[in-house]
Amino acid sequence: MQNIQSQSHQSRYDKAYVRQNKQTMDDSKSTQLLTELKEQLVKVANQRDKQAYAELFSYFAPKILNFGNQKLSSQGLAMDLVQETMTTVWTKAHLFDADKGSVTTWVFTIMRNRCFDMLRKVQHNKEDTFGDDIWPVFESPQAEEQEDHILTAKMLKHVDALPPLQRQVVKGIYLQELSQQELSTKLSVPLGTIKSRLRLGLVKLRSILEKHYD
Amino acid sequence: MIKFHPKDEMLKQHANGQLHLGLATAVSAHCELCSVCRDKLKQYTAAQAEQHLGEQSNDDIQTENVATLGNLSIANIDFSDMLKQITQLAPVEATESQRTIVEVKGTQYALPRALTNQVNHNWSGFGKISRMRLNADENNSRASLLHIDADGEIPEHSHTGREITLLLEGNFEDEFSQYVPGDFIELDANHQHSPKTINGCLCYTVVDAPLHFTKGISKILNPIGELIY
Repeated sequence: MQNIQSQSHQSRYDKAYVRQNKQTMDDSKSTQLLTELKEQLVKVANQRDKQAYAELFSYFAPKILNFGNQKLSSQGLAMDLVQETMTTVWTKAHLFDADKGSVTTWVFTIMRNRCFDMLRKVQHNKEDTFGDDIWPVFESPQAEEQEDHILTAKMLKHVDALPPLQRQVVKGIYLQELSQQELSTKLSVPLGTIKSRLRLGLVKLRSILEKHYD
Repeated sequence: MIKFHPKDEMLKQHANGQLHLGLATAVSAHCELCSVCRDKLKQYTAAQAEQHLGEQSNDDIQTENVATLGNLSIANIDFSDMLKQITQLAPVEATESQRTIVEVKGTQYALPRALTNQVNHNWSGFGKISRMRLNADENNSRASLLHIDADGEIPEHSHTGREITLLLEGNFEDEFSQYVPGDFIELDANHQHSPKTINGCLCYTVVDAPLHFTKGISKILNPIGELIY
């Protein structure tokens, strides 16, 4: 897709030789670019750095405008999209999480979500905004923990349904994170017994899970 | 194990924001439940981001001429006022996202995040079937939450359009398979099915056109299609 695009640009602009040179340096350059964008966003987040923001702005604004023009077919709405997206970048810079993706992906997500709601407003006269519900950008980490808790809670329920001796071993290994040897000493039973109880417990657990979730 | 997923093409369209509200909600809710599709969506989103906001994305705009701060004009548009206006704003804190709970037939269900602000309607229905119609943008498309009580079934029917069912809680089965929460089931006009559930279930459904009930006495129930979906 990228290739086809850049080829069409080449013929359109008759700058093929410039572009080819550019292509060879692409990888290192784009890595460098992403690092720069990230540094600028961090400065905005930590110091409300207006100069760093202006640089982000001058990089993203024309691209957002371009995207807006394509999707919304209106220069005015495209400008609104630039304003709304870049406002969010400024006011929520501190919520950017580099572990979850690049700065460009983050800005794209914000822009795509706004654009989705703007399009619905234009096409269906809807005033409500669902974009950020459908593609969560600023989700609080708490919500995710909760999901894990739900899963753990479900799992624990099934572990509790195991026969007592198997349950003791499964919990010892997976919840208290004891080694099989430690468990053997603690319970004063031979290591082989621990191993077989664990195996039986896991087989049983798997059959319970298969029954409930498959 | 979730066995039924949206097609890659649909995930790509979703990453690009091209699906209508009802479908986007279904795909989003599926991805919340399915790590495989969540990862794919992440990749597609990154690819879209690269295409639109990456370094190479903007060759038809004269980026070389982008001026520096103070006289910021891009493609003959003066952005300096906008920039000044934005940088006067204070940071905004994240809003705590809380799962929305719906209650039907005495049971409470925590809904996927995509549905958080969409479920402010009442339940209706009869017998073991309860339905909450949701807002859908497209004229011919209908989105609903559908709850079927234990031992309930929906009479055999086919669709005049595409039907997508996302199982949110519980289990159900039809002529084709048994389904678990997260399964994303897409049926078109060539398929007839009669879903039933042993322990009850909650689904999110999107249909592109009203259903037709096809079998014997169920034909009398044809208006039900309008009601259910």
